[in-house]
Amino acid sequence: MRSDAVQQLWRSRGWRFGLGLGLMLAAIALAVGFGWLGPDGSVGGPQWQGASAAHWFGTNRLGQDIFDRALAGTATAFRVGGLVTAGALVLGALLGAAAGWRTGSLLDEVMLYLMGVLDSVPIYLLAAALAFALGGGELAVITAMTLSFWTATARLIRGEVARLRTREFVLSAQAIGLPAPLIVGRHLLPNAAHILLVQGALTFVAAIKTEVILSFLGIGTLENVSWGLMLAESTQDLLAGHFGNFAAASLLLFLLLLALNLMTDALQDAFDLRETAA
Amino acid sequence: MSLAGYLLRRLVHGAALMLGVALLSFTLMVQFGPDQTFELLGKNPTTEDIETVRENLGYDRPFLMRFGDWLSHTLRGDFGVSAANGEPVGPLLGRAFPITLALVLPGFLIGNVLGLLLGMLAAWHRGGAWDRLVLGGSVAGLSLSFLVIIIVLQLLLCTPYGLNLFPTRGWRVDGLGSYFYYVTVPTLALITVSLGYNTRFYRAVILEELGREHIRTARAFGAGGGELLFTHALRNAAVPVLTRLLYSIPLVLVSGSLLIETYFGIPGVGKIAFDAITSGDQAVLLAIVVLTAALFVAVQLLADAGSRLADPRLGSS
Repeated sequence: MRSDAVQQLWRSRGWRFGLGLGLMLAAIALAVGFGWLGPDGSVGGPQWQGASAAHWFGTNRLGQDIFDRALAGTATAFRVGGLVTAGALVLGALLGAAAGWRTGSLLDEVMLYLMGVLDSVPIYLLAAALAFALGGGELAVITAMTLSFWTATARLIRGEVARLRTREFVLSAQAIGLPAPLIVGRHLLPNAAHILLVQGALTFVAAIKTEVILSFLGIGTLENVSWGLMLAESTQDLLAGHFGNFAAASLLLFLLLLALNLMTDALQDAFDLRETAA
Repeated sequence: MSLAGYLLRRLVHGAALMLGVALLSFTLMVQFGPDQTFELLGKNPTTEDIETVRENLGYDRPFLMRFGDWLSHTLRGDFGVSAANGEPVGPLLGRAFPITLALVLPGFLIGNVLGLLLGMLAAWHRGGAWDRLVLGGSVAGLSLSFLVIIIVLQLLLCTPYGLNLFPTRGWRVDGLGSYFYYVTVPTLALITVSLGYNTRFYRAVILEELGREHIRTARAFGAGGGELLFTHALRNAAVPVLTRLLYSIPLVLVSGSLLIETYFGIPGVGKIAFDAITSGDQAVLLAIVVLTAALFVAVQLLADAGSRLADPRLGSS
């Protein structure tokens, strides 16, 4: 990665603010994971409490503290978003590089076909189909999003690898007999790290947004507290005049997406990547 | 290669792509999907009843035969019947499609025009206060979930907690007045959710054009701001703009309508898709997946042909 770009990144206020906010939310997610934060499992307290010092966003229909549940939703968002992003980046980098190393080869044609097929199935329908096949729940959602989102990264890595392949440093590496996987892994992918970084942030945002909507529709996570499920609950609460669920879930969701979008923006500026063909 | 030959090759590609989509979705939904035998049976079925239903569902035949069967029916335009009410899927979707189109079209158009204008404003004042304001607003917009936008707009415009001007649910359109009555809030939601993305796209495209030589020349010849932006920059950006507009059509029609129709109880394609998802209505879901893929292929063909017409330099690569 170019050091001038990294310097420009750290000078950007958006990057510093986004990173700070993102790390704060990641710390909350970790704390929930260790059991230090989040719901204590008790139900049956007073229901529909207003906001107070004990319950920042009040309590829900079961008497659970809403803010605790929203914090637990942070962990779900990070878990789902993180797994989808990791899966999509690994698949996208490996398969994209394999296709780009020999453009026009049979492997490349097969990859392009596969990506075309996956890109033609809307994520909601793919998630629904996988929910059938895998029996629903978080695993089906994560698989569906990974299958849907890796193609964007793969197309970019394919293009970058194809572009770099004829450069002198690659030809020299080939001339001294380095095997192709080593050249790709050690010399080409590190040169595409900025693409992976930006794609990672974009994938994270897409995964969180999609998870919320899938959970809301009832084909997302069922086994954990999710902001989407809280928002689904809140649509009935709202008509009865209870705003706690909606406020807590949408606020944390907005903060996490804002943090990621600010970071994406700063990364795109620093590395001069812009989505003109999006 | 001639345009016709090129288009023919693209058609073959498109057919292969749709076959892949069909195979993928059929495998996931039918082969690995839930066993529907007992959904269709009454109470206390006899062994023969069970056999008959399994035979009707095709469970006694090998996968490839069932796939081939379904494919040949689908190719003839027979999408089977909905498991929910036994209605043929073709007419069901045919009835819903115009509703979805009428629902999303205004938001799609206004969202793009507004995005273009804001993008131009930002690009023209690159680095200035307007640019920062528009970019900051679009980052905030990108961070809003579609779901949250819909809930807030409904709360503010459709309930006694807000202005209470529009309906929370339904679609009883019989004229222009009722059309505006039902379409306004969904349109506002579609504009809000797409504006951030649209603005950034148009800003990037216009910025790229404004940096080119022909703009400098036109400026030197005394062209004004409006002429530079609309005539010189926008017309030369026709290819990326057209491509993006076309490519977003299937997404808006299927993904965009799913949430909004479900939330507002509007009987369009998205609502039918959602009902089919929750009830496991395979015939309906398969039809929607295949038709969406067909739409993707058609859109790609159109975008390709359009780019070629707009820019003759594009070869047949």
